[in-house]
Amino acid sequence: MFGRKRQASDFSAEIEAHIQHESERLREQGLSEEEARAAARRSFGNVMQAEERFYESGRWLWWDRLGQDLRFGLRMLARNPGFTVTVVLTLALSIGANTAIFSMVNALLLKNLPYSHPERMGTIYTRVTGPVRSDERHHVNGEQWELLRDNVPALISAVSGIRASGVNLEAGSQVRYVHAGRISVHYLDVLAIHPIIGRNFSDAEDRPHGPKTAILNYGLWRNAFGANPEIPGQTVLLKGEPHTVIGVLPEGAIIPLDADLYTALQPSRQGEGTGTNFEDITRLRDGATWEEADAEINRAWSFRTQRYELENNPGADVTYYSVPLQKGETAGLRPQVLTLMLAAGFILLIACANLAGLTLVRVLRRTPEIATRLALGASRWQIQKQLWIENLLLALVGGIAGVAVGLAALRGLLLLLPEHFLPVADVSLDGRVLAFTLLVSLLTSALYGMLPALTTREFDLRSSIASRHSTGGDRLRLRQALITTEVALTVVLLAASGLFVRTLIHLQTLPPGFNPTGVMTARASLDNVRYHDAAAFRKLLNESTSAMRQIPGVQQAAVGVSLPYERSLITGGIAIGDGKEAGQKVMADEVYTTPDYFAALQIPVLAGRSFTEADGPDTQRVAIVNEMFVRKFFHGPNAIGRYLDKDTMIVGVVENVAMAPGIDPVAPLTSEETMYVPAAQMEVRQLSLLHVWFQPSWIVRTSGPVEGLTAQMQRALASADPNLPFSGFYSMRDLLAKTLATQRVEVALLSAMTALALLLSAVGIFALIANIVTQKTREIGIRLALGSTIRQAMIHIGAPGVRASALGLILGLILCAGALRAMHSVLYGIGVFDAPTLASVILTLGLVTLLATILPTLRIARIDPAKTLREE
Amino acid sequence: MSTQETRERLELLQGTLDLLILRTLIFGSQHGQGIARAIQQTSDGELLVEHGALYPALQRLEERGWISAKWGTSSNNRRARFYSLTAAGRKQLVMETSKWKRLAAAIGRILDPAKEG
Repeated sequence: MFGRKRQASDFSAEIEAHIQHESERLREQGLSEEEARAAARRSFGNVMQAEERFYESGRWLWWDRLGQDLRFGLRMLARNPGFTVTVVLTLALSIGANTAIFSMVNALLLKNLPYSHPERMGTIYTRVTGPVRSDERHHVNGEQWELLRDNVPALISAVSGIRASGVNLEAGSQVRYVHAGRISVHYLDVLAIHPIIGRNFSDAEDRPHGPKTAILNYGLWRNAFGANPEIPGQTVLLKGEPHTVIGVLPEGAIIPLDADLYTALQPSRQGEGTGTNFEDITRLRDGATWEEADAEINRAWSFRTQRYELENNPGADVTYYSVPLQKGETAGLRPQVLTLMLAAGFILLIACANLAGLTLVRVLRRTPEIATRLALGASRWQIQKQLWIENLLLALVGGIAGVAVGLAALRGLLLLLPEHFLPVADVSLDGRVLAFTLLVSLLTSALYGMLPALTTREFDLRSSIASRHSTGGDRLRLRQALITTEVALTVVLLAASGLFVRTLIHLQTLPPGFNPTGVMTARASLDNVRYHDAAAFRKLLNESTSAMRQIPGVQQAAVGVSLPYERSLITGGIAIGDGKEAGQKVMADEVYTTPDYFAALQIPVLAGRSFTEADGPDTQRVAIVNEMFVRKFFHGPNAIGRYLDKDTMIVGVVENVAMAPGIDPVAPLTSEETMYVPAAQMEVRQLSLLHVWFQPSWIVRTSGPVEGLTAQMQRALASADPNLPFSGFYSMRDLLAKTLATQRVEVALLSAMTALALLLSAVGIFALIANIVTQKTREIGIRLALGSTIRQAMIHIGAPGVRASALGLILGLILCAGALRAMHSVLYGIGVFDAPTLASVILTLGLVTLLATILPTLRIARIDPAKTLREE
Repeated sequence: MSTQETRERLELLQGTLDLLILRTLIFGSQHGQGIARAIQQTSDGELLVEHGALYPALQRLEERGWISAKWGTSSNNRRARFYSLTAAGRKQLVMETSKWKRLAAAIGRILDPAKEG
């Protein structure tokens, strides 16, 4: 399609033939040779014009013109580097932000899960209607699992433990702390993942008390076993018990429950199966439909004896339905990601408003050029085309720069996220993201190019040639409207990120209830047959803590199964033993501790006493409760001396500490009713189950920095058990950061975007005022000559910017009233309409506006009235 | 020659040249000059065909596939590019002719209602 079939020379030859024919005919009518030829030419008209028209009709010209327009466009952009750089930078930042956020959306919500036939994979949602409504993914208990497994033939179902836990792996002479996940027999079948070496779990291995086996992931197989292909059949010590390795997973296999190795879950209705401690995933069998599956699930689960969903919810109704696994896995992150995408969209709109303003000014500045071209015969379409080509050039350059910025931003963003924060293997810039970026670039250029292009349509040739400056008041109003819009959007972002910052501050400054400084903690796994013996457990705690107390600089050493800022074990069915609440069953967090726990963490004992060495396995069972426990469950003034579960006496009341809630997750960090019990009084049965889920922490408090503290702690632990590695060392600050990871990421991302929005708005206002100053230099000169002060001139010139911004602020606040309501569920400790936030929004914006207005007006001081008047 | 120059001839309406070219070619293939002459003659010299405008029009029709062209030798033994109607061109001619006739009749009715009565 690019060439034409006919050459121009052929066309000329045809014309020549015509003239010859014509002159021959005229000669026959009696004209002389010369006359005939002249007449023939005359009647033909303009040969050159015909040839031109021939050429113009060709496609060559189209390319010629495009090339010409492109070259001209590039020249124009190069001649105005300030404008070009501003536009490209604006585009790069705004498109980059969108690219980075969209690649998250893509990876989390759009891309298919990396399994075969991901559309046939699902999980089960529970919808409860009634006084207390909910519609979400629930963990299931052993009864639910058995009914699902046996009575839902439409699905291949599998369950896993809720999270991987730290365990010790002993192979040969080395011991390492690894993350072990527990999965049921068909878990890998649901994911359609096959071991590269060896095999999957068998039904017998997944039955309670079945043979103990393990499947390694690829990384562990390489690092700990040197990628030994003979590994299946070998025995390793896991949790102190021999396990036979039966298989190795493929490299890069993505398992929803991320772990270094997997053991069979062996789920049943007993033990952990009495509670909802399993997470289900399903795959539709060939030939079955989701409708059939859902009907079967609802039928199967209606036979349950224990329907916990309906407790304390009279008249409630419950139904179950399948959702795509992807939705189930990313549901927690979806609102955050979509909020960020929305914010990124705002950035793009703000950038568009800015760019529209900038290009508008540029087109107006080019009035003389455009007028000249129109006068020389260019069509309006040609002028428009030229402007559009320049826009597209900028959009493409900006888009490419945007991809680079996006890539860098994404890298930074992923570094910011804690490990395993995202339930996907990687977030990458794939074809879809690049296509999105291209589309966004083109859309942006169309949006911001439209306004200036429209203005050239109403271009009056006579007046524009006559006057050097053509700025109508309506153009200023148009630009003000643009500023108002972008400021309004900026206000919404500013308020939203302000609320997030306030939430984070609230959470981080929550009274911890203990002294978090000077504490070092380390975690070790006691999910080990050696410690399915209470005496061995007590001996370990005793010996390791006293060894740690010997470390110079260490003041206290203690052990607790969980720490402040962390989630802890929830125990239900604690019976109040006496008083008027006797017999009432309550639910509370339960933490076992060694006697020095409260001293080491400096948790104030409000009443009674702390635990002592005397609280042993054979003495009176004792407990310490926190203040919230007392407030919630005992209405009398004194809790000391009262009984729980008949035989456990409360001996102390301590201050509430900030923790990750487990009972009622109203906020990421709060205080919950807690019961502390002495580690020495724990029964073996409790310990072995507890240690499957929780790895106790050793705590030391030091007077100041101690050199080599962690190595000395490890040595102290080794002196009590040489085969017990610590998983890592954490300060309380680390633990707090981990608990508030989501909030920190939200704050960081949204603040970055808000800063960008603010910058763009400032640039917009700055450009507006700077432009007015340039255009009105002469007017300002006259004003100054007539006795206006510089200050008055500055106010006169700056006022339109301030007015536009103020209007934007008001508009933005009105928008906030509606938009921020949606944030209600992610705010803690503050309301949606938070006065300090609103005040700081107004203050910040006012400051930025003033700065962006005053800076360009400073040029007024340098205007020399006499000179400007002479110039015109 | 002189008679032709004194008479005021009609300018071609936009788009009619294409129709006239197609119509002329219905009698067989013809070169550009021949087409121009034929139009002028069959219209009794009423229509002015600017020869220069003819060729871009021929080019356009060729590109649309309504006519085809090849170089040949004319009756007076000169080289010329001969145009002939294609099947698509024939169809186009029928369509355009009926359209044009309806238009002409409609305008005629408006300009001279009594006659149509």
